[in-house]
Amino acid sequence: MIRNIVRAALLSSALLGTAVGGALAQEHVVWWDFLGGGDGIRMKKLIDDFNAAHAGKIDIQATTLDWGVPFYTKVQTSAAVGEGPDVMTYHASRIPLAVSQNTLSEITADDMKIMGLSADSFAPAPWSAVNVDGKQYAVPFDTHPIVLYYNKDKLAAAGLIGADGLPTGLDGRDNFREALKKLQAGGTKYGISTVTADGSFSFRTIYSYLCQQGGDIGVDGAWLPGDSPAKLANAVQVIADWVADGTNPAYTDYPATVALFTSGDSAMMINGVWEVPTMTDLKAQGKLFDWGAIELPVLFDKPCTYSDSHSFAIPNNVGKPATPEKHAAVLEVIKFMEENSLFWATAGHIPANKAVTDSAEYKAMQPQATYAKLAANMIYDPKSVNAGVASPLFDAAGNAFTAAINGEVDATTAVTEMKAALDAL
Amino acid sequence: MLKSKRNEALVAAVLVAPFVAIYGWMFVYPTIQMVILSLQKAPLIVSAEGQSSFVGLDNYMRLFKDPIFYTSIKNTAYFLLLTVIPGTAMALAIALMVTRLKGWGQSLILSMFFLPYVLPITVVYLIWDWMMNFQFGIAQHLIAFFTGKPVNVWRAIPWFMPMVALITIWWTNGFSILLFLAALRNIPKEVYEAAQLDGATRWQLFWRVTFPLIWPVTVLCLTIQLILQMKIFDQVYLFSQGGRTQVTMVMVQYIFESAFIKNDGGYAATVAVAMFVVVIAFSVLNFQALRAGGSR
Repeated sequence: MIRNIVRAALLSSALLGTAVGGALAQEHVVWWDFLGGGDGIRMKKLIDDFNAAHAGKIDIQATTLDWGVPFYTKVQTSAAVGEGPDVMTYHASRIPLAVSQNTLSEITADDMKIMGLSADSFAPAPWSAVNVDGKQYAVPFDTHPIVLYYNKDKLAAAGLIGADGLPTGLDGRDNFREALKKLQAGGTKYGISTVTADGSFSFRTIYSYLCQQGGDIGVDGAWLPGDSPAKLANAVQVIADWVADGTNPAYTDYPATVALFTSGDSAMMINGVWEVPTMTDLKAQGKLFDWGAIELPVLFDKPCTYSDSHSFAIPNNVGKPATPEKHAAVLEVIKFMEENSLFWATAGHIPANKAVTDSAEYKAMQPQATYAKLAANMIYDPKSVNAGVASPLFDAAGNAFTAAINGEVDATTAVTEMKAALDAL
Repeated sequence: MLKSKRNEALVAAVLVAPFVAIYGWMFVYPTIQMVILSLQKAPLIVSAEGQSSFVGLDNYMRLFKDPIFYTSIKNTAYFLLLTVIPGTAMALAIALMVTRLKGWGQSLILSMFFLPYVLPITVVYLIWDWMMNFQFGIAQHLIAFFTGKPVNVWRAIPWFMPMVALITIWWTNGFSILLFLAALRNIPKEVYEAAQLDGATRWQLFWRVTFPLIWPVTVLCLTIQLILQMKIFDQVYLFSQGGRTQVTMVMVQYIFESAFIKNDGGYAATVAVAMFVVVIAFSVLNFQALRAGGSR
């Protein structure tokens, strides 16, 4: 009886062994991302393309998780016990925390050579964002700044479209404020719709205006140095003024701003480039007016726009290091994505790989090519374990700015509160 | 005689052993770990750069001076006040009405009241977030009728907790209604007939017959609600995302924020220990109060 059981067990493990042996020819790469929207659909196509091109050799097994805190919590805890994926998307702004938690594997110069990439392949800002203390922890895939979306018909009617067909007369704080009033006088419900119900989202816009004045958000131990608090208050006041004028709706959440813009109830919108597919798709269905997207107008001294990067990172699965075969497969995945990121640009993001953005195809892509020049004027989150998407910095911004831009407290009070919250971290 | 007693004790020990083992492993051990963690300065994940170290009672000193901690206690208590007794009373009222219906009509109405209970919180959140949307929400017409203008209830601080409480009652009330309905059906008809013969009014029927007879179930409902609502987290977290979270913070949310956003495992454990103490205090109070009520 017992002998029979032993025999059966041996037989089944032998069978299992051959099954595994057969599958060894094909390397499975477990992939996690947080791309749930229009860009998620485009990423799925890239993954399908990869799998088709590598049939029988490498197979990506992709899972999409919830963006933000849930994603990063899961990644950090699973990597710590060796249960993380083989490769994952990561916001560059969140890398400092991941490094402090030992969540990411270093990407070596050899790895980069295998992928045919180097520091020169990327713009300085995204490249710097994936490096911590001289070591590289991710490969930049794109940069995704915020941009100004506009309704061409409405702007033309208000005389705000120049001879080159692009918006004009929007630079300067007062000028922009007047332009909004002019648009509204022309019969549009709102001059602009920006997110006002979520101060952590507005942070991207406000941070841009802080940078346009030469202000600095600072880092741990020295948040908002020098006269930056006053400059930050100025930046907050910009949106608070629009809300007070009634040119930007109060307490408006993200989906509502998109709905207001696409329905023609607001003439402009400040949002991430990731909303480009929404507009492209609506336009293709004949449900949208002539639209465009440009770099944020210069309201203060110099052009500057907040941006972050999606990048590819390899988790440091504690106790379960990847086999050389697996590592090679992961590098092949990243290489493929970098080389095919032109398609990713249809999701609105600016590809990080300069070879792609320098191509003629990309330069013909609209409105991507129009706003891509802002890549020279980008500012990223400060390199801190407390900064980045879904971070304590975002949290503090949500608490301080939501009240201030809707006129519940004045901008200076909000900034003082925010600095106190950051200093207490 | 003595021997059999010893035997009995042995059998009892064997029978409770599996429970004690699992309880010790799944509850007592983590609780002890939590208390130890609360005495440390510890990141969520320990690595070469982020080590944990014992800091004595520093976390507790910080806790007692932390205004957000007091805000979270205040908000949790306010939420309990808004949900436990009003929710139970509403469930009783609905059960009293539903019990008068007969046949499929009763089933239909009952399932309407029970439906929200089976929804996951994410669905509840999406439904109400859109209903209350500041620009497009259908409920804004109702709000505007009373206040004269639309209100973003998730950002206007005085509106926040009452609205979350309202939605929570809508969401969780189905279960209490079922309990009350079962209790009402258990009351023999003869009791009412006898009371009516004695000339009892409807009011008297309720307060002198129905209410005392369903009191045990009322106690059960109140206790379940108290335990459930003390753990409030999901609704507040979802509805306040990106807003003034420090003003609307509740206790479990503060544990979550300390651990997973601020990467401060030690302090999160300290808040958890404090909450543990508060929950025990509340439970004892609740038990005593309800026992006093039941002995009337």
